[in-house]
This record gives sequence, structure tokens and C-alpha cells, in this order.
Amino acid sequence: MSATITNPLRVGLRQERVIAPQCLVIFGASGDLTHRKLVPALFELYKQRRLPSEFALLGCARRPWTDEVFRQKMADALGDKVNKNRLSWDQFAAGLFYEPVDLQKPEDLVKLGHRLEEIDRLRATRSNRTFYLSVSPKFYGSGCKALADAGLLKDPKRSRVVIEKPFGRDYGSAQALNRIVQSCGQENQIFRIDHYLGKETVQNILVMRFANTIFEPIWNRNYISSVQITAAETVGVEERANYYESSGALRDMVQNHLTQMLAITTMEPPGRFDPEAIRNEKAKVLLAARLADESEPWNCCIRGQYAPGGTKEAPLPGYRQEPGVDPISTTETYVAMKLFIDNWRWQGVPFYVRTGKRLAKRLSEVVLTFREAPVHLFDAAGGGPTANQLILRIQPDEGAEFHFEVKSPGSGMRSRPVEMEFSYDESFGEPSDEGYVRLLADAMLGDPTLFTRSDEVEAAWRLYTPLLELIEDSPWQLPIHPYESRTWGPAAADALLANDGLLWRRP
Amino acid sequence: MSPQLTLQSPLQLPPSEVQSYLEQLWSNDQPGSTGANTFCLLVWQPAWVEQQLVRTDQIAGPIIGVQRPELIQAARQAVIDVDMPHSTAPLDVTVAAALAQRKGTQHGEDLRGQHVDAAISALQPRRLITLAPTLDEVHELETLVAAYCPLPEEGGGTAACGDVVVLRGDHDALAKGLGILQPLLPAELPSWVWWNGSLDEAPDLLDQLAVPPRRLVIDTALGNPHRCLDLLQTRVKAGQAVNDLNWLRLRTWREHLAMVFDPPQRRNTLHHVVQLDIDVEGNHPVQGLLLAAWIADRLGWLPQSSKRAEGEGIAAEFKRPDGTTVQFRLMPVPMGQPSIHPGQIVGIRLICKPDSQPDHAVCVILCAESGGCMRLEAGGMASMELLEEVVPNQIASVEMDIARLLAGGHNTTTPLLAAAAPLAAKLLS
Repeated sequence: MSATITNPLRVGLRQERVIAPQCLVIFGASGDLTHRKLVPALFELYKQRRLPSEFALLGCARRPWTDEVFRQKMADALGDKVNKNRLSWDQFAAGLFYEPVDLQKPEDLVKLGHRLEEIDRLRATRSNRTFYLSVSPKFYGSGCKALADAGLLKDPKRSRVVIEKPFGRDYGSAQALNRIVQSCGQENQIFRIDHYLGKETVQNILVMRFANTIFEPIWNRNYISSVQITAAETVGVEERANYYESSGALRDMVQNHLTQMLAITTMEPPGRFDPEAIRNEKAKVLLAARLADESEPWNCCIRGQYAPGGTKEAPLPGYRQEPGVDPISTTETYVAMKLFIDNWRWQGVPFYVRTGKRLAKRLSEVVLTFREAPVHLFDAAGGGPTANQLILRIQPDEGAEFHFEVKSPGSGMRSRPVEMEFSYDESFGEPSDEGYVRLLADAMLGDPTLFTRSDEVEAAWRLYTPLLELIEDSPWQLPIHPYESRTWGPAAADALLANDGLLWRRP
Repeated sequence: MSPQLTLQSPLQLPPSEVQSYLEQLWSNDQPGSTGANTFCLLVWQPAWVEQQLVRTDQIAGPIIGVQRPELIQAARQAVIDVDMPHSTAPLDVTVAAALAQRKGTQHGEDLRGQHVDAAISALQPRRLITLAPTLDEVHELETLVAAYCPLPEEGGGTAACGDVVVLRGDHDALAKGLGILQPLLPAELPSWVWWNGSLDEAPDLLDQLAVPPRRLVIDTALGNPHRCLDLLQTRVKAGQAVNDLNWLRLRTWREHLAMVFDPPQRRNTLHHVVQLDIDVEGNHPVQGLLLAAWIADRLGWLPQSSKRAEGEGIAAEFKRPDGTTVQFRLMPVPMGQPSIHPGQIVGIRLICKPDSQPDHAVCVILCAESGGCMRLEAGGMASMELLEEVVPNQIASVEMDIARLLAGGHNTTTPLLAAAAPLAAKLLS
């Protein structure tokens, strides 16, 4: 008999925390994120019996839809997922409702309050509410305020708000937004979502570091010589040109996702596994982080933009040829930079961070390179011994690998590198959940561990302020380097590491 | 968290006045208010052993119906004092029956229903109704009511208030009192019935209390095994949401067994099981049967035969999807210091023999932390690849398990239990 794909004993066995009865209210329910990510994630939670029977989803947007229209739209969007699970969908869809709401109209909020009370009675959702702001970032502040003014956030135990990225455009705007949302409720009611934190492999960095004794003693400047953090995409800007033109790779990826990976990789052990203890440590390490050269940031940062590429048969347009993009756009689709963390653990260890669109491979990873052995006793098959590396693969092919030297077979004593590998897919009898499944569940559980706190967000923006100011004030000092689509970015980025005698990992 | 008492002393009212009193209580407090918009919980709370221990002065009152450590310790001592086998589960009804033969006239204050476990009160139940049967042969119905506001935890939050209703009396009095319950359960809120006692007792009351769509919580470790499994599968088949605490306590066993087969190189081994052995504490086989039934269901085995085996065990045969026979044996094992839950699993052994490589047999043994697995380790396992693990003891209290169910309950039975229940019943028949 052939090997089974999943472990049949594993099915339905997750010991998940229990989500309390509640109503999830999504503002911007007619938008893309709702039918592409949020509703599929909720349906997955439903199928896994992780949603209570007393659950309701209230979609809100300006369109004058009815409950039935909303249910049908969601069913159409989920397509096969619904067709293959028709009975489950029908039961799940009975808890879907829709209310036309314009967050800027107080009378709509009053109407919303009444509808929520009605749903409480209908679905016994116990007045527990999670409000998800899947709206344009410019409405985050006013949206929160409207909810607070309508009295919908007054119970900190029973109401919370989830806010999508981007949280601000820079340090100043993030501070201003924080002030507004914090005036609407307590900090523990505000859930700033970063879907990278929903990835099993990002969370696994915490477990690997703090549930084992072998890593933490060497997780510092005495043993680690450099760290690379990469988030590479093969896709271009797709339909997001409008947003991306005003954002760029630095705001879209680095300030949030890559900085969160950096924080989790470098934070000190928390005193206990508690949301605040973990977020304290993340905020602390971000406060200690800085650009490698703050006074002349152009020395430690490279910006790039993808140019045409591909083949004659399948050509790929450059960024400036994409629909909706300014033909002389100077928005970066690639950014690489060097950072330092000025604390006892990491002083002097360079952190190289890069992200880009239309790169050679889709992958996210953290690579810790260890110092070389102080004395080389053996000949190395590859010319010189390879430094040990621990590679934490965030996506795809989630897992970890460790590169180390072993004796090459034969009569001599030559060393050569080998890999020791752990793969999530192979090791566990079930696939990992999508990031949104985990994060939606956590938000509804009221567990903020995997959400960013106000001080983390501000620290992350402050870290990149010199670059943002430079791009704003004298962009010629951070020129855009074009790179061919589906390559590993501009040559200037290679030079950034070559100056330190290093190479980017080419996975 | 320690249990919390109602803030208000309960008021004793004639049964006929309870409903109007409660309605008045809420509308006086705030016009239109009906208290927390959460759920109602009905509890059958006999606490027979506790009542007998208090009566015979082996434990000080009050009687609260919570399985606290001093109660369990006194019950263990009582097992020894009344010359019962040391392997008797300390809160078993047989212990209460033996204690009933002893003299004693102590009266402890009866706070059943007013002493709410903190894990449950944190969920702000709308209404807690407790049926508290007394030891007296004749005890007229007493009806007590009290408003109840769980203190908000640190960090504030609105305390949504509820109330507690206690019906106390002998069996007939309680049966009469059931008439007042229906109007006390708002139709728009989910209601749970927690039968916190043996499934053998007061079947008439159980039938009247546990009517769908009320969600039922039972413990199939308490009561005659046939009655337990019969009730479980009947209710599941009828579409009622049934939660079995005995099944919940299996979770660490199921998790550990699944973990053994998580590595992909071992997953295929699961298709070559030829023998399954389960040892349980004492003579209550239900948990062991539920575990066997779950494994059989997950692996697609069909039951072929079942019979009582030597030494009070159960021997059965399954047929795998490929037609091969799987031998199953469940054995009772006497334990010196048994769990408070009868029939807990002590050990499990799975023997897998791939047809194509009979020399590559694998023997998986999981052992309870509190027990020994010597019986399962014996018997010629030396020639097989041995995978052995220790399963930690269940640490959650009954009240914690109940709170987990109440916190995010479902109006249907978990499909795994629904599939395992009829199979387990078949193995016992």
C-alpha cells in the first residue's frame, strides 16, 4: 500500500483554544480581502469546529446588499470550497448577515448597534464583538472613532478592533493614528494585524529558540557572524498599482513583515509566555535596532525596480509598463539594507534584509550564519570550510535546515558541507493553516500575542525614518536600480554584501 | 481560581413564585433588562459521597458539589474504612452506598448550586439551575433563588449578571419541581444539562431534563457501561448535542497515539495493525472501548465479533479494509490508587506487521504516567521495533472541562465521538 498523505489519527485532533460565542463584524465586506481571505479562513475554522455554534458574521459596506446577496456573493467567491462542502456551507452561511453601513454616518452606526443586538438574540452571540476594519487605511482612525462614539467599544472584555496594514505611512502618521485608536479603547482591544505573524514558521522561531536548550546559548554575537532575512516574490505588482505606487517595497513589506521577522529572531527570551511579555521584548529589540549608517543611509540601503524580463515567448513587463503605474515611477519594488542592533546580544552583527517583486524565486527565510571554526584542521572539499548556517524557511516548503561540515568519505580527512533538514509538510500529519485562519481565531479569542502593539509599530517606523526622509527629500541619493524581472535583484545589492566579504544566499 | 459564592444570600421561595420573582428582580434592576445574554446551565448535582462523608463526620461541611482534594482524600480513606477493594474509584456510588450503612447525623450546610466554580462563573452564565437531591427519604421541595454577578477580572469589563436557582429535595420532590423549569429557560439562549452523577440514577429525571435542543453533558465513566453507551449512542443518533467528559479525558491518549504516527515513514504502518490491546483501571470498560472505536473508525476497521474474555476483559475482532483481521483485547487492571474517574486507560499496545515485510513488525506501547505497562510490555515484543511513550495524567478538573465546553459549545456532537459511540456499544454488546 502506498504511503498515506495525512495521518488518519490526526484528523479532528487539534487541541485548540475555544473561541467564545461572538459576532465578527467586517467593515469593507464587499472588498477583495473579505472573499479572498477572511471568509475562506472563517469557513475553514467552521469546518474544523473551532467556531462555536453561536457565531455570526456581519458584513458591512456601503453597497445596499441584503443578507441573501452577501451569502450568495461569498458562496460564488469560494467556488469549489463551497461545492465540495455544501452541507457545511449551508450551516455556516446561516450565520452570515449583511448591513449597509457607512462608517462616516453616525445614524448608520446606531442602526448597526440595533442590528448587533438583534443578532445577539438570534444567534446567542453574548454581546462579544470583533470589529474588523478591512477598509481603506485613511478610514482606520475615523472608523475606530465612529465605533467608540456609538458605544460599541465600551466593554474591553467583549469588544475589539482588528486593523489591517499599513498602520500609518511613517513614524508621525503612525503616532497620530495610535493616539486616535487608543482614545477609542484600551490597547488590549486593538489588534494590528500582520499576516506574517500568522505563519506557523514565524511562530516556530519562538518555539525553536525558547523550547530548546541547544539554540539559545549560541544565538548571539559570539557565535553568529551575520543574519539575512529575505522575502522574495515572483509576482509583479498585479492589480495593486494604485496602492503600491504610494507605498513601495519599504512600506509594503519591510516596515511590517520583515521587521516582525527581525524582532522575533532577535528578541530576548520573554519572562513568561504572555502577550505583553512577548511584545515587550519585541519592542525593546526594535528600539535597539538602527540602520548600519544612519547619517548616510545611502551607504546601507539599495532600492531597485523590476525591468522587463522573461523570454521571447513569455515576456514579462517592467514595473513602469504595468497598468496603473507612472511610466517614470521611482517607486521601489526591491529594497535591501543593512541593520545593526545595539544591544549586548547582537552588537556588531550585521543584519541584511531584502525584499522584492519579480525575483527569481518565491520564498521567505531567515538565515543565521555562524562564525567559522577558529582553526581549520582539515582540508575542505570545496576549497575552504563552509560556515555553519541555520536556515528557517518561512515559505514555501516551510521548515528549517542546518548546514554543517562532515567528513567526506574516503581515506583522507577532508570536510564537506551537508544539510540536516526538518520539513513541516513531512513531519506532521496535517497541513498548516493559512495565516489568516490563525490570526482571525486569535483576534476572536482576544489573544494579542501575534498582533503588533503601538510601541512596536512606532519603533518599526522610527527605524526606517532616515530612509523615508531621504526618499522624500533627496531621492537622488537613493537611486532606483533597475533589475531584470525574475533575477535576484540589482547588482548594487550584491555589492552591499560584497563590501563585507559576504554573498546573499541563492536558495 | 477558587470557587465563588453568590454575593446575595439565596432567598427561599415557594416554587410557584420563582418565575415572577426573577422577572421582577431584573425589571426592577433595569427596565427591560433580563441579565446576561449568555447561556443557561442545568446541573444534576447529587454529590452522594460528599453528602455521606459530611453526614458521617468524615469531612466538614458545607456540601458544595465540587471535587476538591480534601473530599477525594476522605473518600479514599472511606474506601479503606468500609473494606472495599482498594481499586474502587473513590467517588463511585458504591462508596456512597457503603457509607450509607454507617451511622451519623452530622448536618453540613448545603451550598450546592450556590458555590460556582470560577472557571464557569467567568463565562457569566445567565442562569444556573441546580437540582440537589438529598439523602433524606422524605424532603419536601425547597426552592432557592439568588442574583449573581461574577466579579469582573482585573482590567475591568462589564459584569453581566445572572441568577442561580436551586431545587433541593428528595427524588419525588425534585420530579415535581421540574415543572417550573421550562419557563425559566429563555428560548433564545442555549441551555446545557450537565448530568454530574451516575447515568444509572433517576433516569426519569434525566429524560425530562435532557430534552433537545438542550445540550447534554454526561460522563460515561459513571454508571453501568451498557446503560452509558446505550444512552450516548441513542442521544447522538437522535441528533442531540452530547458531550462526554469520559471522551474528553481521552484527548491526551489520542494526541500521543497520533504523534507516534506523525512521521511520514511511520504513517503507512497504521495500515498494518494486527493487534490492539488496551488496559483500563478496574471494571469499567467504556473509555477503553471508546478509544478502540475511535481507532477503528479512523482506520476503517469493521467490527466482526465481540465476547467477554477471561479475566473480565473483552475480546473482539475487526476486519481491516484489506480484509485482514485485527485482534482487540481490553483488559481490566486493578490499581492501588485509582483515579476518581472509573475505567481510565492505563496502557495501549498496537502491533503492526506489514504483509510484505513480516520481519519488520512494530510494537507501539503508550503507558499512563500513573500506571505500569508491564503486562503490555511482556509477551514476545523483543523481536519487534519498539516505540514506547508515557502519557501524562489528565490535569484538568471536571469544572475546567465543563467551562471549556460552555465557552465555545456546539449544537451538534463532535463527529469523531458520534462515529465512535455506536462502534463502542457494538463492542460491548
